[in-house]
Amino acid sequence: MSAELGAARPGRREAWAASRRAFRTAMRLGWQTEANWTDPLLFFIYSVAKPVGAAAILIFMVDIISGGRADPAIRSFVVIGSALWSFVVAGIAGLAWSVLDDRERYRMLKYLYVSPNPILLLLLGRGAARIGIGAFGAGITLVIGVVLLGLPFDPLAVDWPLAMVSMALGLVSILSIGLFLAATVMQTRQDSWSYPEAVAGGLFLLVGAVFPLLVLPAPIQAIGLVTPLTWWLEGVRGALFPGALSGIGGEGSLYATLAGRAEPSSAEIVLALVASTAVVSVLGLLFFRWSERRAKEKGLLDQVTGS
Amino acid sequence: MRAACRGIGEPAPMKGPRRYGRFARPHAQRYHRELIVSVSPTSLAIDARAVRRVYKAKPEPIVALDGVDLQVEPGELFGLLGPNGAGKTTLIKVLTTLLLPTSGTARVFGFDVARQTTELRRIMNIVSGGEQSGYGLLHVREQLWMFSQFYGLGVRDGWRRVDQLIEAVGLTEQRLQKVSSLSTGQRQKLNLARGLLNDPWILFLDEPTLGLDVSAARQTRELVQQWQRALPGRTILLTSHYMAEVDELCDRLAIVDRGRILASGTSAELKRRVQRESIFLLEVDRLPGGHQALAAVRGVLSAVEPTAHDLGSAADRQTVSVKLTLDDDAALGGVVGELGRMGASIVALAKSEPTLEDVFVELVGRGFAEREQEPAEKVR
Amino acid sequence: MSAFVFRHSESPEQAARWDRRRSLATQLRSVYGRAYPRIIGARREPSWLLFEILLPFLTTSAFVFVYRALDAPAEFIGFVVLGGAMTAFWLNILWMMAAQLYWERDQGNLELYFTAPISMMSILFGMAIGGLFMSGTRAAVVLIVGATLYDVVFAVEQWLLLLAVFFLTMAALYGLGMVLASFFLLSGREAWHLSQGLQEPVYFVSGLNFPVARLGMLGAVAIATIPLAVGLDAMRQLAFVGSEHADGVLPAWMEALILVGMAALFIGLARWMLGQIERLARVEGKLTVKGT
Repeated sequence: MSAELGAARPGRREAWAASRRAFRTAMRLGWQTEANWTDPLLFFIYSVAKPVGAAAILIFMVDIISGGRADPAIRSFVVIGSALWSFVVAGIAGLAWSVLDDRERYRMLKYLYVSPNPILLLLLGRGAARIGIGAFGAGITLVIGVVLLGLPFDPLAVDWPLAMVSMALGLVSILSIGLFLAATVMQTRQDSWSYPEAVAGGLFLLVGAVFPLLVLPAPIQAIGLVTPLTWWLEGVRGALFPGALSGIGGEGSLYATLAGRAEPSSAEIVLALVASTAVVSVLGLLFFRWSERRAKEKGLLDQVTGS
Repeated sequence: MRAACRGIGEPAPMKGPRRYGRFARPHAQRYHRELIVSVSPTSLAIDARAVRRVYKAKPEPIVALDGVDLQVEPGELFGLLGPNGAGKTTLIKVLTTLLLPTSGTARVFGFDVARQTTELRRIMNIVSGGEQSGYGLLHVREQLWMFSQFYGLGVRDGWRRVDQLIEAVGLTEQRLQKVSSLSTGQRQKLNLARGLLNDPWILFLDEPTLGLDVSAARQTRELVQQWQRALPGRTILLTSHYMAEVDELCDRLAIVDRGRILASGTSAELKRRVQRESIFLLEVDRLPGGHQALAAVRGVLSAVEPTAHDLGSAADRQTVSVKLTLDDDAALGGVVGELGRMGASIVALAKSEPTLEDVFVELVGRGFAEREQEPAEKVR
Repeated sequence: MSAFVFRHSESPEQAARWDRRRSLATQLRSVYGRAYPRIIGARREPSWLLFEILLPFLTTSAFVFVYRALDAPAEFIGFVVLGGAMTAFWLNILWMMAAQLYWERDQGNLELYFTAPISMMSILFGMAIGGLFMSGTRAAVVLIVGATLYDVVFAVEQWLLLLAVFFLTMAALYGLGMVLASFFLLSGREAWHLSQGLQEPVYFVSGLNFPVARLGMLGAVAIATIPLAVGLDAMRQLAFVGSEHADGVLPAWMEALILVGMAALFIGLARWMLGQIERLARVEGKLTVKGT
């Protein structure tokens, strides 16, 4: 009897190993069901058509206004922001679509919940797989930008530590925002498939992805400054392309007014990213737990809505 | 069927063209009347000839139907009985125009399932077991009304018909409940109500009690029978792998296996195929002459001690049990007389009949459960 | 049980014989019936107000600010607002119509639609009408609030032609949506992915945020094939009369005629294709297969 109870209460090491296994399995499942880079159609749609199409719209907008003589710095700004945005769309969608898929299509959500693995790990694993798809899209867009549009990329000039730290923290913040959305769609119906893209679209305005924050009214700039994605973009952009236009700073920006400086330093970027990511992660987790509880109370975990 | 079906006497039906809206009025007095089912002499409800359906699959194609011949008369409740994978659902999908046969022909009330789909869809409906169709956010009432629109009922007539059917199937308390919150049994009642919205001339029921508990399954069967008996001419094709259900409900049935109909007829006819004698389980307080004494009675083919399986709950009782095999029920009189001469009293007497599974085993050589474990038939 | 004692015809043959009026009435009723869950769903779950209206408005605003950052002429802001409004209808077609059949099959509704005496066109149209409530609201919000907030000045001289172009664009778009739906009927999960793939690339070649004439040959091809491109190009010319930047590939009246042709072509093609594809699906048994 005690041996059986022992099996139900594993030690810390076993629990950690089980968690790693669950995360890896969820990642592999996410990759198999959604990515499958060996499927040319899927690969083309998510890693080429969508991100390159989005970047092309912006590049044309820039070129049309400038009459084909666009400032290279502005072009770079737009291309880099658009490329990196693939991570955001993929990461946010990954968790939310996993909930919807498992609830509406595969009808597996309730079984995941009764399995011994924490649902959070499973969802994060699926989200991480989707971020992998986003990474392909970002990479391809950047390569096109460098090769065809003359983006000034010099591997020797890259601030690799800043790039890696910013990227790691940024991905955590993306997954945390995805957690918010996963919690939301747990309460809503099947038509919620479009919600991740809507959220990504809304954030697009606020975080200086394709235009500097200083173009926005001050109150909206303030929202951007407390959003981790803003600092993530600034960090990665500045690390990969030193000297690139700042999305946060600039003369007349709210940041410049508050900090007394034109642009943030690397240390400031990392600090702001850590702080904002921590807040968003905690809030995301709390909201997810609340949504889970509500879903269990209302029997939403195995509902099939359709519409 | 060529007969005129006469209901309880009522005025003859109205002549001349009718406005569509009037058709939807559920006046019992108007419609419970003398009905002439003017089916043409050649219009069987179902007439399937040499129907074959092959699915492309890897590594080899799968034969789901292998030359099925099936004729069902109008007004029958016909059962298709067979294990999982026998081809019952495939046949229903062919007959309900969801699937084209690879070869062969099938007609429902004279309408070709391949070429006259529009006409056929106006007079039929299908209800499947375990159906989860519809939209979870809608109430029961709304869901049914939506489907009523697909069958051309007017807006108001649709609501009226829906309310009547909700009451008829026993979902009155759930009528304003969201479909996603219904229990399995309630869901199936909803599905059945949906299937009856257009008053189909033929109703296809594909495992309608699948997944239901005993009570819900019984209610479903009762509703099906009530609907069919309420007016003449209603035909039902029911598929199931529950023998008792088919035995209870069906006028005639066919046993299906590996895409073929092995035998068809009434339940009694099929059982007579495997058992020509009458078998009785007899319990008496004592048997002074032993089993041999009864075996000597005229018409008794054998009188032996039954097995524990034969006895069931009677095994524990302090009585003497005898398994009698008679060449005819009439021989029982002689047995009773002999028992009387012995001074023995009859405690219990029960007739043992073969089941449809016995029929299946006789035809196929193995039971349902064993058959379901075998791989599907490949193309020959 | 009075509900069971209900008969509206004397024989199966009579029941199967519908006149044209009844057939048409049933098709129209099924449009309404299928739109009903969408409309009710919007009332019962108001989260779409945030995710389908407010957030997409912010997305459109992002492109407005891109132009502001570039000091673009004022009309370009108007182009973005107009394009943002029309995006709503394209998404309605992709997601509420074309890819929807994949979900319907998954849930078991598709086989019930096919066993009912209705045309799949009615069902698709009902889906689109039901989704139009949300898309129409979104388009109106983007147009009205966007124009007000960002000081967009429309200069319209031919209101009738503008309205005609709008409705022709809708007709052509919905016809295209039905054509796409017939393709998706045969697909599995690919339907979902194909719909994803038809977003950004179509926005680009349709000139959602800029005159499609600037795309050169690509723009010309788009005008010839994509209703959204033609419609937007014509509407831009008609809504910003006198603007040197609202140059179209062809004059607006010519593009209106193209839209007439497209609407007729796509609707006719959709009718034919849905019949063919249904038959193919019945041959291959894909009307009831769930999943991929």
